[in-house]
Amino acid sequence: MSLDAVRSRAEEALRGVYTGVEEGKGFVAFRVPAERVVEAAEALKSAGFDHVKSVTAVDRPKEGVIEVTYHVSSYSDPELARGIVGITVSLPRDNPRMPSLSRIWVSAEFQEREVFEFFGVVFEGHPDLRPILLIPPLAEKHPLRKDFIVKEEQVYKGGITKLEQPP
Amino acid sequence: MSTLRSREARAGPPEEGRLYVGNLDAAARRARELLLGKMKLGKLVDWGTAFSLWPVHFTTSCCGCEFAATWSPRFDAERYGALPWLSPRQTNLIVIEGTVTKKMGCALRLVWEQMPHPKFAIAMGACALDGGIFYNSYNIVRPWEVVPVDVFIPGCPPRPEALARAIVELQRLIREKGVASKWIEEGEREDKPAPIPKEDLCSWWRG
Ligand code: SF4
Repeated sequence: MSLDAVRSRAEEALRGVYTGVEEGKGFVAFRVPAERVVEAAEALKSAGFDHVKSVTAVDRPKEGVIEVTYHVSSYSDPELARGIVGITVSLPRDNPRMPSLSRIWVSAEFQEREVFEFFGVVFEGHPDLRPILLIPPLAEKHPLRKDFIVKEEQVYKGGITKLEQPP
Repeated sequence: MSTLRSREARAGPPEEGRLYVGNLDAAARRARELLLGKMKLGKLVDWGTAFSLWPVHFTTSCCGCEFAATWSPRFDAERYGALPWLSPRQTNLIVIEGTVTKKMGCALRLVWEQMPHPKFAIAMGACALDGGIFYNSYNIVRPWEVVPVDVFIPGCPPRPEALARAIVELQRLIREKGVASKWIEEGEREDKPAPIPKEDLCSWWRG
C-alpha cells in the first residue's frame, strides 16, 4: 500500500529515464543508464527524496559488470519515508567510472569512498576520493571484488586425521 | 560510634608485616621499611608501579564491554590499584580490547609510543591473540606485531574476572621480575623490544 505511493512518485520523477524496475519488500529499484544518472538523481531530489541511505555495489564477473546501487529515501516527507527507492547503474568491470552523486546528496560522499576502495569504482567529480576504511596498499586490491581470494575456513570431513610428519 | 570502636577493639592491633589498606599506621610502617630499610630503591619502584597500573581508554572492539564491566561496581578492578584514564601521556598500561584493524594498528602504535615508560600491554580476547573470528580477514593485524604484549587473555569475550586476573598477573610479573625498575635503570626493555610492523600501517596518514 504505502510502497505504491512511493513507487508512483518515483516513477513519475524518473519517467523516460529508467530502463527497468525491480521490486522487493519495502523497496523498489530503478535501472538507469550511467550517462543519465545525474539527471535521474536531480529528478528524485526535486521529487522529495532528500538523502542517500546507502551506496553499495555488486560485482558480477560472469557478466563483466559492476552494479552500483544508491538507496534513497526521505526525512522531510513522511509519505516517502515509508519506502526505499534504489537507482541501479551497471558499469563495465574493466573500467568502472560514473559521475559522483555526492554533489546532489551530501550523505553519499563517504559511502562513495567506501565503494571506491572496495570495488574500485571511480566517481568522477567527487570532492575527496581517498580510501576511507582501508590502508592505501590494500585498497588498491579492491577486496570485495569476486576475484579477491581470502584464505578459506577448512571443513572437518570426519575420521581421524593423520598428522604428516615433517621429513 | 560505639559500634565502630568495639569492632576495632575486637580486631586487635594490626598484624606485623602485612599491609592493610586503610590502616595508616601499618602502611606508614611499611613505607618506612621500604624507604629507610636496606631494600633497594628499585623494589619501591616495582611495588609502586604494580599498584598504579592505569590503563588508557583504547576500545577497538566488542571486548570493550567487558573492559567496562571490569571497572564497574560489581567487579571493581579499582581495588587492585588500576583505574582507566583518558590521556595516554599519563598512563602506563594499554589493554588492547579485541580486533585491531590495519588503520587502527597505526593508532595503537602511536598511542603506545606516547605513553611514558615503564609501560605494559595486555592483549584481550581471541581477536587480539590470533585474529579470532576474523582470522582470515584482509584488514586486521595481530596486536603483538605492533606493540610488545605482556599478558594475553583468551576468550571471546573474556569474562571480567579474566581481565582482573590479568591485571593481578601483570602485578606479579612486575614485582617478581622487577620489570619496571630494570626498565628505568637501563632505559629500554631488553626482554621485549618493540616490534617493527611488517606493513606500512600508517600509509593513510599522508593521505
Ligand atoms: S574476541 Fe570476541 S568479543 Fe573480543 S573483540 Fe574479538 S569477537 Fe569481539
